[in-house]
Amino acid sequence: MAAAAKPAKPAYELSGWERFKKDVVRDKWLYLLILPGMLFMLIFRYIPIFGNVIAFMDFNPYNMWNSTWVGFDQFIKLFNKPAFMQTFYNTLYISILKMVCGFPIPIILALMMNEMRNMKFKKVAQTLLYLPHFISWVVMAGLIMNFLDPSTGLVTALLKSITGKDLQVLTDKTLFVPMLIITDIYKTMGWGTIIYFAALSGVDPQLYEAAEIDGARKWKQMINITLPAITPTIVIMLILNCNNIVNAGFDQIFMLYSALVYDVADIIDTYVYRIGIQKADYSFSTAAGMFKSIIALVMILIVNFVAKKTGNEGIW
Amino acid sequence: MEKNKIKTSTGEKIFTVFNYAFFTLLCLVMLYPFWHEIMLSFSSLEASMKGGIFLWPKGFNLDTYKSVFKNPNIYTGFRTTIIVTIAGTALGTLLTAMTAYPLSKSRLRGGKVLMTLVLFTMIFSAGMIPSFLLIQTIGFMDNILALILPGLVSAYNCIIMKSFFLSIPESLEESARIDGATDLRIFFSIILPLSKATIATIALFTAVGYWNDYFSTVLYIRSVDKWALQAVLRNMLTNTQQAMQQAGVNVMAQTNTNAQTIKAGTIVVSTVPILIVYPFVQKYFVKGVMIGGVKG
Repeated sequence: MAAAAKPAKPAYELSGWERFKKDVVRDKWLYLLILPGMLFMLIFRYIPIFGNVIAFMDFNPYNMWNSTWVGFDQFIKLFNKPAFMQTFYNTLYISILKMVCGFPIPIILALMMNEMRNMKFKKVAQTLLYLPHFISWVVMAGLIMNFLDPSTGLVTALLKSITGKDLQVLTDKTLFVPMLIITDIYKTMGWGTIIYFAALSGVDPQLYEAAEIDGARKWKQMINITLPAITPTIVIMLILNCNNIVNAGFDQIFMLYSALVYDVADIIDTYVYRIGIQKADYSFSTAAGMFKSIIALVMILIVNFVAKKTGNEGIW
Repeated sequence: MEKNKIKTSTGEKIFTVFNYAFFTLLCLVMLYPFWHEIMLSFSSLEASMKGGIFLWPKGFNLDTYKSVFKNPNIYTGFRTTIIVTIAGTALGTLLTAMTAYPLSKSRLRGGKVLMTLVLFTMIFSAGMIPSFLLIQTIGFMDNILALILPGLVSAYNCIIMKSFFLSIPESLEESARIDGATDLRIFFSIILPLSKATIATIALFTAVGYWNDYFSTVLYIRSVDKWALQAVLRNMLTNTQQAMQQAGVNVMAQTNTNAQTIKAGTIVVSTVPILIVYPFVQKYFVKGVMIGGVKG
């Protein structure tokens, strides 16, 4: 009798738990839809995240269950290793330089492009500008090595005619990092521009018309209309960039560096690769990688918090 | 007319001219490396070693391509990459849509928790070694599944997809629901057909990722005949001597042989598919950015 009475109960009389059950049953197909994706996340994202525990072990790859717990020993070893501290320094140095030099460029390009009235030209220019974004670093590295070839490279010849010296950029400790910065800007600036462009396309044209009637010149319009319109995007890009502060560009450096420039170009990721994959020192290299991930996480939490506090939108 | 004259001052005119000139130059800078590579690949080996090839090939011939296509690894590389790209893109895009759709429903119990779980994977990366050990533990080493599975769904694509689903009016689903359609039915026969453009965008992002993937091969694949194209290419770029021998070129006595033409030819062969498809699909990339913004 009680069972027969239950379905008749109006929704507002249901207890929280009953309502929960009812909702879950109602949405059963949605849960079914999301299940494979969540299983994927569990297996390929979360299991490796929990796999980071081997940083607290002396991991035995041949017999996992024979590994011993060593607490923070791996991390202590890490911080006492000058080679690692050098890679940490290089990582920050390269990524901060990339950010300082590379971050404003897409904004400037987007603002400049926004002033163009010839739509066809604009479209072609955009298309060409972000072409390198879709080219792999393998190919880019091939191009770079070709242009910087010591004997036949076009850029080598150009540099020689300017400086009068035979510069071998790829093996030169002072030139390697600037080369990384320039080629990174080359590859990424177009795509960055598109992101700001998407934000600019949302600006109401009436704002510009009104400003023109009020006699505001182009320059004024840019400062007072265009720039505020893309500020939220700038903030978001800044936050995402800060998350990347420990990613100095693994693919790029991995393709271009050599033992000759390890002093300036070896970053955490390349170090982890050499120690972990090539020398199979799993625990130690995992500790290095985990240290990196934690810094990235802390960075994004801080920056997102600051962004929200200062009245901007964060990424969540 | 009078009004127009006031609007464009001399400074603004100069800026306009400068602006167009600047972007013309920039476009040339973007195109030139690829052009140079193509010209180099059509030049003779001797001319390439002397250098000085700028705009047109020197000693035009097709030997480079004959050599490049003699290398069996090029074919196996294309085969692996095409299989991985097609399978990964089809499966990955479907999974992304299936994951994003329930997340776009605010009525879903636990939806917020699931969303946070997805987002967290974006801001905290597991790292290279644990991911490597996972693949090793589940026995996917030297199996092209290791090139496909780990890249199927990205949190970023999920967010783009989810914000698109949010923009579909609820009323469209309501009428179907009244007719007795389940959520599963609604998703496959109403939502997916409506989302073609966004799905195309996600598919393209995913496809480019798979096509350009090099490092997964380095980590997981041992047998050369299973290498992805990028790994084959990299190998040819760094071990030119070996690559030339494989390609049947008579390596000259000098140890410093620098087969720029072979390198250029390999780059061209592996990049041309992208360059051909690119102009037709690039508008979808822009669309994706527009929909997702950067934010979910």
